[in-house]
Amino acid sequence: MTVHVVVNGRDQAVESGETLAALLERLGVGPRYALVERNGEPVERRRYEEVRLEDGDRLVVARPVAGG
Amino acid sequence: MRDAFVVAGRAFGSRLLTGTGKYDSFEAMRDALAASGSEIVTVAVRRIDLDSSDGDITAFLPENVLLLPNTSGCETAEEAVRTARLARAGGLPDWVKLEVIPDPRYLLPDPVETLRAAATLVEEGFTVLPYVLPDPVLQKKLEEVGCATVMPLAAPIGSGRGLKLRDSIRIMVEQAEVPLVVDAGLGAPSHAAEAMELGADAVLVNTAIARADDPVAMARAFRLAVEAGREAFAAGLIPEQDSAEASSPLTGAIHES
Repeated sequence: MTVHVVVNGRDQAVESGETLAALLERLGVGPRYALVERNGEPVERRRYEEVRLEDGDRLVVARPVAGG
Repeated sequence: MRDAFVVAGRAFGSRLLTGTGKYDSFEAMRDALAASGSEIVTVAVRRIDLDSSDGDITAFLPENVLLLPNTSGCETAEEAVRTARLARAGGLPDWVKLEVIPDPRYLLPDPVETLRAAATLVEEGFTVLPYVLPDPVLQKKLEEVGCATVMPLAAPIGSGRGLKLRDSIRIMVEQAEVPLVVDAGLGAPSHAAEAMELGADAVLVNTAIARADDPVAMARAFRLAVEAGREAFAAGLIPEQDSAEASSPLTGAIHES
């Protein structure tokens, strides 16, 4: 079953029960430096494999970029 | 490690911190970082753009440096705390260059919000390196809440104008209880040397290296200037005086009879 989450403000269809790690992979963000907030709470990197996305989840996906 | 730069109990051999912004390419950045000898390198944290596949900066960052995420883009304490928590949860170090900047023209930091954010982040176990105006009173307050360094600006970010508030920074050096890092506004290696001669513990440079015609050579020049300034400070500069004092003997000149 397909459910919908919001990633950085945009609707994203995911398979029900899909893990956060799988979504990051699909988005082309390696887990090593993907930074994730789920429904306003930061997600520990070691949990990316176990967090299963739920309908309506709001995600912020960030990463390090050049800066001073 | 001789004359180590110690922050929160961790010793670093280099007193030059560098930013990763404004380089023409990640390759140029990688080479300049290597030439700088920096052991602490800042990065920003941003939402990914789902429509673009920009390169991954982390592939170009040296393995043996401490990555220091900053809170650039944050205008309030809450935004800065949120950004730092996100970075730490995602696997970046629990060190943070705290910057809270509401002013887009001069990019001057908000002292009230910075202090609020610093207190919260220290309480949550972060090692906090706040970017501030050169304000000796604020310095004491940041030290009291447990900041690991205090990082006053020399001049506005990217302006390259050097130590514009030298006298305030001198007071901060004199009363510092945690390392003082002059951050932002240094345009030339001589500015960095001047900050170090004054007794700053370290400097943080980005634009002056990244925007140089030859960033690798400029990174090396800053490294040497920081080392020279540190050695000069340790060696003890002579006091300035108004009148001259001859370096050669005052008697026995050849024409004397």
